[in-house]
Amino acid sequence: MSELLQVTNITAGYGDGPAILDGAHLTVEPGKVHCIIGPNGAGKSTLMKAICGMLTIRKGDVIFKGKRLNGMRPDQILREGICFVPQERALFPKMTVRENLRMGGFILDDKKELERRIEGILERFPILRERADQHAGTMSGGQQQTLAMARTLIIKPTIVMLDEPSLGLAPKIVQEMFDIMKMMSAEGVTVLLVEQNALMGLKNSDWGVVLDLGRTLFEGPAADVLADPRIQELYLGGKKAA
Amino acid sequence: MADILQILILGLALGGVIALMGSGLSLVFGVMRIVNLAHPSLIIGGAYVTYWAFKMTGVDPIVMLPVASLIMAAIGVLLYRLMFERETKSAKYSEMTVLLTFALAMMVEGLLGGLFTNTQRVVSPDYATDAFFVGDIFIPKGQLYAGIVSLTIITALSLFLKYSRLGYAIRATTQNREAAELLGVNVNFICILAFAIGIGLAGAAGSLVSFVFSFFPAKHWEWVAMLMSVVVLGGMGSILGTVVAALMLSVIAAFVGTWIGATWSTLTFFLALFLILLVRPQGLFGEKPEMA
Repeated sequence: MSELLQVTNITAGYGDGPAILDGAHLTVEPGKVHCIIGPNGAGKSTLMKAICGMLTIRKGDVIFKGKRLNGMRPDQILREGICFVPQERALFPKMTVRENLRMGGFILDDKKELERRIEGILERFPILRERADQHAGTMSGGQQQTLAMARTLIIKPTIVMLDEPSLGLAPKIVQEMFDIMKMMSAEGVTVLLVEQNALMGLKNSDWGVVLDLGRTLFEGPAADVLADPRIQELYLGGKKAA
Repeated sequence: MADILQILILGLALGGVIALMGSGLSLVFGVMRIVNLAHPSLIIGGAYVTYWAFKMTGVDPIVMLPVASLIMAAIGVLLYRLMFERETKSAKYSEMTVLLTFALAMMVEGLLGGLFTNTQRVVSPDYATDAFFVGDIFIPKGQLYAGIVSLTIITALSLFLKYSRLGYAIRATTQNREAAELLGVNVNFICILAFAIGIGLAGAAGSLVSFVFSFFPAKHWEWVAMLMSVVVLGGMGSILGTVVAALMLSVIAAFVGTWIGATWSTLTFFLALFLILLVRPQGLFGEKPEMA
């Protein structure tokens, strides 16, 4: 497998607190959708925060395109091409949709190019054009999530990490989020997803990772994860994939 | 009717200066969540810079304003790096910053008192004691100029925050620090910049205050409650709110001072602070605090 991102046995936690991740590893292949599943407290979100530089990695390595990311700041990691959308969507509630998109391209120096890319995003997501001058904080949960995901595309990232994009959304809207994710993947963006709805996450992914108690227990094609009876029993609520 | 108009004009002119005095405090709170109790003492620092420049060279306080502002901004950078930067990851950040700024206010007061004594000072350019007359209404030139300069600076600040790249980064950091960081904003640099701007605004306010009010090192204790009430009524972190609140309270204080008595005028601010915290703690433009 030609890995794009390689996480090797990392240990990480918050501040001086206990390690949340202890021996987590992950291999990310270009252009694929990867889904991390596991129970609450397994360290799924922590893993994403460690990759994007929000947490200090105490042991182990994060290697992206052959470059070690350990110790780099979030803004430096973003410039490498890794975007992260946390659970709370990370929007600026008192900024308009257009201003939020501008912030999405904060690291771009060419203003004209930034405005051109924003137009491109508004073209592809008509709901965002409709709400372009509306404060992000006044939009519905689904619209906010669409904005958060669309905003990552401004910098044409290599990897987009999404932490529970379906959280708090109605089932119909959840499917829309997965459709956007598939569209990203079809455009060559590698997606790393943490999803509480493990079954749905894996069904929409190419690669599955099972994390528990801060360690990676299994990593392989999503179909294999879905077919594994032990994983079905422990992490998918005993449900078999249709 | 002329009386009412007279009071209104005086209140608005003074309100403009108070808005500038509060805007730096509001900006610093908005971006860094620092309730800077030392802000008024740093305004007095700016007033002394202007006073001595006027006394030694005769330079006009309004001309001196950009210099005082830059000197105070540079002091702001030093203070942030020495006192607050290391506290940003502390679990007791809010408590620590309140204590640190309180200590800083005491130190600034002590330093200024040691250097310049506790004598009341005021800068006296010609216009400070002159006035325009429109019929029966007089408009003190000093207050008018100070009010106009204050509102011009606040407008420039608002345009900077609204349209510049760094302004976007400051607003983004104010609204969601983590998200700003994730989108490539160097949040530590933005905090230093915002603190420098905040203290620079204190310096600018100091230049204007130097010919509008008399001042001495311990005067900041009187201003702390006045500025707190303005910033709290406006909504902590909202520059627009600070301006609206400063103009509102200043006009009310002017009416109270004229109709009830000058000593009751200052009470307007204290009473406002008390009532706001009781009835609408988020202020006019702030967000409702979440329940624990």
